[in-house]
This record gives sequence, C-alpha cells and structure tokens, in this order.
Amino acid sequence: MNIEKVLAKYTFEQWLYDEAKLLDEIEFDEWFNLMHPDLRYEMPVRVNKEGMERPDYSEDMFAFQDDINTLKIRVDRLKTEFAWAEMPPSRTRRFVSNVRIVELEEAERAVVDSYLLIYRSRSTDIHHDLISGERRDEFKFFNGEWKLSKRFFLVDQTTLNTRNLAIFV
Amino acid sequence: MIKTDICLEEMTQREIIQYLDETVKPDKGVIPAYIMGDPVIYDLEHKKVFLKTWLFLGHESEIPNNGDFITRDLAGHSVIISRGDDGVIRGFYNMCTHRGMKLCRADKGNKGRFTCPYHGFTFKNNGELIGVPMQKDIYGGNLDYKSMGLHQVTIDMYKGLIFGTWNDNPEPLSEFLGDFKWYIDLAVGRTHMEVVGPPQRFVIHSQWKIGADNFVSDSYHTMVTHGSIAKLGMVPNAAYSKKGYQVSAKNGHGCNIGMPNPVFAFPEELIPEYKENLSDKQFEVLSNLKNLIGTIFPNLSFLVSHTEVKGEAISNTTIRLWRPIAVNKMEVITWFLVEKNAPEDWKRRSREAFILTFSPSGIFEQDDTEVFTDITDAASGPIPLSKNFKYNYTMGRHRVPVKDFAGPGTVYNDKFSEANSRNFYRYWLDLMKA
Repeated sequence: MNIEKVLAKYTFEQWLYDEAKLLDEIEFDEWFNLMHPDLRYEMPVRVNKEGMERPDYSEDMFAFQDDINTLKIRVDRLKTEFAWAEMPPSRTRRFVSNVRIVELEEAERAVVDSYLLIYRSRSTDIHHDLISGERRDEFKFFNGEWKLSKRFFLVDQTTLNTRNLAIFV
Repeated sequence: MIKTDICLEEMTQREIIQYLDETVKPDKGVIPAYIMGDPVIYDLEHKKVFLKTWLFLGHESEIPNNGDFITRDLAGHSVIISRGDDGVIRGFYNMCTHRGMKLCRADKGNKGRFTCPYHGFTFKNNGELIGVPMQKDIYGGNLDYKSMGLHQVTIDMYKGLIFGTWNDNPEPLSEFLGDFKWYIDLAVGRTHMEVVGPPQRFVIHSQWKIGADNFVSDSYHTMVTHGSIAKLGMVPNAAYSKKGYQVSAKNGHGCNIGMPNPVFAFPEELIPEYKENLSDKQFEVLSNLKNLIGTIFPNLSFLVSHTEVKGEAISNTTIRLWRPIAVNKMEVITWFLVEKNAPEDWKRRSREAFILTFSPSGIFEQDDTEVFTDITDAASGPIPLSKNFKYNYTMGRHRVPVKDFAGPGTVYNDKFSEANSRNFYRYWLDLMKA
C-alpha cells in the first residue's frame, strides 16, 4: 500500500467518523452540509432468497430512496415541533468500521465501503435496537471538500427490528 | 360492581368472555385499556378471531407466472402460496408431510417442485407428493403417495387480494367483505394494480389492534401526530383531514374518504380504465378523492394518500398488515401498489412519495409508530385491568348517518368520528363471545 492510499484511507475514515458524530449529536444541518447536490441516498429492502441466488436485496423497493430535495424535507421535518418519532431524540451510537477504499481519483471522486452498526435507545425503554449493515459510499470533490454523492446501505435484516427509520443510516 | 382484584389468568374461558361482555361497551364508546395489553385476551383473540376469520396473505401480482410462490404467515403458521403449472393459485401448510420439516425457507421464488431438505421428499407445486428417494427399496413400494400430499390451506381472492383462513366452514370471502367491496375497489380494484418489489417489514413493540383501529377511524390524530407534514406544506393545513366521510360496513370493516379534491389524484391517461372497472358512482368518488384510509377486519389496512412532493401532487397506494407476534409486538408489512399501465414517470414518483411518507422511514409512518408503542406500554401490566382504566371512543356519537352518499354502508359526514372504531370493536366482541 502506497502512502497516497494510506492517506486516503485515513481521510475517509475521519470523514465517516465525523459524520457519525454529527448524526449521533443530532447536528442535522451540519450533517446535511456534507451532502453533494447530486446525492442518491438508498437503502434497498433485503430479501430471503432461495439458496445462493443474488442479489439478495430488491432493486425495486427501498426503505430510503432520497435525492437532495427529499433528504432536505426529512431534515426540515425533524426541526418542526411535531416530529414525535424523534422527540425526544433517540440516543444513538454509530460504529463505523472495515473502511476500504474501492476506487480513488485524487481530488475528483472516490468509492468507499464500510460497515455500520447503530445502537439506538429510546426514552426509558430497556429494549435497544441494533441496525447493522454495509455502506457503499461515493464521494465527489466539491469546493475543496469531499461531499457524499451516493450512499447505498445494505441492511442485514429482512424484517427491521426498529420501530421506524426516523434516524439516518 | 367491577372487582379491583380481578385476574384474567385465574378465570375460565367462559368467565373471561363474560367479563369482556361486561366491560367492553362499543356502543357507549367504552373500550377498556386491558384489551390492548393483557396476554390472556391476546391468546383468546388468536383462537376466536385469527383462527376463524379471513386473513390477508398477499397480492396476486406477487406471483404472476406459473411456478411462482411466496411464503407468508397465516395466524402464526407459515404457508406457501403457489401458482401451479396449471395457473391455479393454491395455499399449502409449509411442512413436509413425512417428518414435518419446513419445506420452503425463501420469501419468494419460482419452482415447479419443492424438495424437503430433510429426506428429499419432493412435492409438485399443486401439492402432490411425486418423489421419495429410494422408495421402492425402503418402503417396499407400499408408500401411499396420494394420502401424503401437502396440507391444503383454504384461500380465496378479491380484486387481486389473496386471503386465507383456518376456518373449516368460513363465511365465503365475498360475503365476509360484503358491501365494503365498493370501497376496496377504489383502493385496489380501480384498475389493474400491481405490487412493486417485496413488501417492507419492520417490528414494533405495539399491540396489533392499535394499528387496525388507527386506520379504521382515526383521521383526528393527523392534526397533531402528523402536524409536521402540514408545517412542511405537503398537505393543505392541519385540519385538512376532517373533510369527507366515514363509512362503517358490516363485520367491523370501515374506511374514511377524504374529499373533495380539486385535482385528479391518479394518472389522467387511465380515466378510461377506471371507468371500465368502476361503476359511475364509484368513479365520481374517485374523481374527488383526496385520500382513502380503511381497515378490512381484523388487520389489513389500506391507504390512498395524496401529497405534494417537490412541488408536485402525487398519490400513492399501499396496503399494510398489522401482524401480531405477541401481545405487545407486531410486524408491520407494507405493500406498495401502482397502476400497471401508468406512465413510468408517474410510477416512479408515486413510489418515491410512498417511501418518503409511509415506508418504515416515512415521515407520516414514523410518528404513528411512536404513538402505538407508547399506548401499548401504558396498557400493559396488571393495573389497567385492576383499576378498570378505559378509553373514550364517543366521538361523533351525536351524528346521524347521511342518506345521499353514493356508496353503501353507514355513512357519516365528516371524518372526525370514532364510529368506525365502535363498529370494529363491536364485531371483535361478537367474535370473542362466539
């Protein structure tokens, strides 16, 4: 591994850690600023297929399928006084690991895979939710910064064990 | 006088039913909290309601080709719904008739035969046993194939909706749905509709009746629970959901019709199709429809929602099952449907609107689930029963049904009413007492 790749891995690890911190601390505006105007933000429905048949997710149905405009609606909604699903907010902790640079064009674009585990706790409820999956993120270099232009989150459950996706993945 | 040291667990079934009859008073708008949280009621309900009535399994468009199958839950039991090589849709208990292994573990697929992973018994997709490894040698050629076909499950369909029941002598599906079919047509039978992709599934710590009840009558909650949506300008104003009608039908079914709507909520290219599939009166209602929310007893709800997304109004149609898992837990399964012959761009926008509003990440859906879980929490444990805590379901009792509405059933002007919940619990109580 050459030094450029090591640096790139460090750069994107830090990017993902910073993003996790913003989401866990409910800094939605700052999080939204990490997005590129071309954003595609997708989470397909995972399915149980026969044997080794792939892909084992739907290409037609999604739990999230946002562009920058619909993502903005979600962020704006969370700031109204009626967004009960997250009022008071869940306590979340996003664990990002297994970061791998898949493609890299310096100061141009990058494709980065990572694993994500979200711990979610609400109110006095002793149940906690775990959302586990893999992200494939695409970044574009925009005004001197890496912005997220595509996120594909492949969740590890076919039936989600969380009351809603009022949180971001 | 109601005793405060009451304990359903110590009662006989007859005593429980009597206690239900004394405390559940749908006509008076009195619904006790314990029916949402008591495990004894949940178990009795499984026996009296879920093992007796028709339950939703899936949509015909999920298995369009011969050999297609889906696996679904029927009152806690896995069943295979398969379209045979002869094109006939059948239901089977998902169990090998040899030694009981679950025959099929995929959500859906296509195959002509199912082979058991345990000993390799093979069944055709019409249920017949057709192959047993080494059978001549080990059974001496004496195995009775005919008696070992898969256990058939009673299914029936209406406008593409596939229902099943464990009842050996059920009321025919068409009669069970009765007049309410007039409204089901508007939701899923207005033209050729198809399910897009797999259903979305998520589990919430909620009693199943809260979801069914919410969709059967509760337009009132949209003002507050969904207040954020009006703030964002996606619907006209916080009281928009009041305008329209509430319809109670027999067997606990009911819906809410939001109207009028200044714009046509569906693809205009398909007007000839709608006219072909609907009566004149149905089409007139469809033309003015803003939204349609209802429940087919006990736990299948449907929704046509018309919202503004990115400056353009678009409708989306969904059906959802509130599948009980435990007294305080259910799986919510949501299918998105769209007109098969709608323009591709309209289909895409309708799906986008669904995902944004009523999928598990939906900005309408997520606030509901918060309410459902907290109602369930408050209804759980011994206190709601022993203190006889009750809910107030009296809204709209003063209203007189209107006579001039185009559709059948008992129709009330104005959607803000709990008449449909009273109707729902009346039928629920009838079944519990039966």
